[in-house]
Amino acid sequence: MHRIHVITAALCCALGASCASTPRPTSSPAAISGPNTLTDGRYTLVVHGMSCPKCISNVEMQLTRISGITSPIVDMKNGFVRVEVSGGKSPTKDAIANAIADSGFTLVEIRGGVE
Amino acid sequence: MTRAINLAPLLLAATAAAQEMPGMPSATAPSPGVLIPRLQGRVWLFEDGQTLIEESVRLEYGLARDLSISAELPIYQGFFDAPRPSDGDIGFGDMDLLLELRILREDLNAIDTVRASLFAGAELPTASGGFAEPTLNPCFGGVFSSITGRHGFDVSGRFTFNTGEGMASPLFLTDLGDDFANLDAGYAYRIHPEAYGEERVAAWYLTVELNSVWTTGDNHEILVSPGLLIEAPTYAIELGVGIPLSMEVDPAPQVEFAFLAGVRLLF
Repeated sequence: MHRIHVITAALCCALGASCASTPRPTSSPAAISGPNTLTDGRYTLVVHGMSCPKCISNVEMQLTRISGITSPIVDMKNGFVRVEVSGGKSPTKDAIANAIADSGFTLVEIRGGVE
Repeated sequence: MTRAINLAPLLLAATAAAQEMPGMPSATAPSPGVLIPRLQGRVWLFEDGQTLIEESVRLEYGLARDLSISAELPIYQGFFDAPRPSDGDIGFGDMDLLLELRILREDLNAIDTVRASLFAGAELPTASGGFAEPTLNPCFGGVFSSITGRHGFDVSGRFTFNTGEGMASPLFLTDLGDDFANLDAGYAYRIHPEAYGEERVAAWYLTVELNSVWTTGDNHEILVSPGLLIEAPTYAIELGVGIPLSMEVDPAPQVEFAFLAGVRLLF
């Protein structure tokens, strides 16, 4: 039983050390080109890393949690996510970047209009 | 003790829940607050016509952006000769409980990405029915995944400290009582679609894995495991077989062949 305790303590220490150095999203919001606040209208989010069909559900699920964003549509071919902002909610670039990062990917740019 | 999750011939998921090999870990994990259930069935054919049916239920939950927890419970039904569990008997294996931390996510362009995770946890002593030895076995490991266009690569390693005495009539190499390491490598090739478009389509992948187990008792098992993975936005289906390449498993029975079928859901 002593061996289990020693091993478990070692694993907890290793994992704790790793947690302390967890990397943040590759692109900080300041490095992402585009408006800091999105007014009502249509936008194209340029996202990197969406490599499989399941990515679509992840991105859509996280983006629709942001107040004011509706109808995200993922274009995997180009790495685009087309969104509509409505209701005067003015979602921020930070919120969108965090949602994309939570879904497991990297927001690179926000473009006005739909491409 | 249960057979380690990545010993099977043929599956795990960073936030993307991206393309995952059927029988080994991938450096993927659910988004925060997202639950991914996975049901998987395997049929193990041993020498002398003995058969083991394994059904496993795995739940993976995103705790934070780069941190997830998973639990997997195997359920066994054996068709063996004495002294192993008699025909039709059902029992549990040890539950696998893991905490997984993503330490690398580098998204290179629209599709390509590299990711790596570390995990640690334990096999919990839930085994019953004589199919495994109920023991608490700490484990740790790491996995690296890379996706480049239509090609996916995974490499993983896991070490398990075996605290049991070993079973008198072991079924698997991992029941002998020795500490053991799982070393796996996998390759996936997307056969459909050739290139992603704007429409939602399921992706089809051909996969091949090399799954191995090495014990501190100088035993080992190496299987090559071709498979098929179908991945849609809200589900994934996997099929595969395991073919032994090299086995030193005495006194456990040799695996002659294994089949796998599984499904993953995204909520």
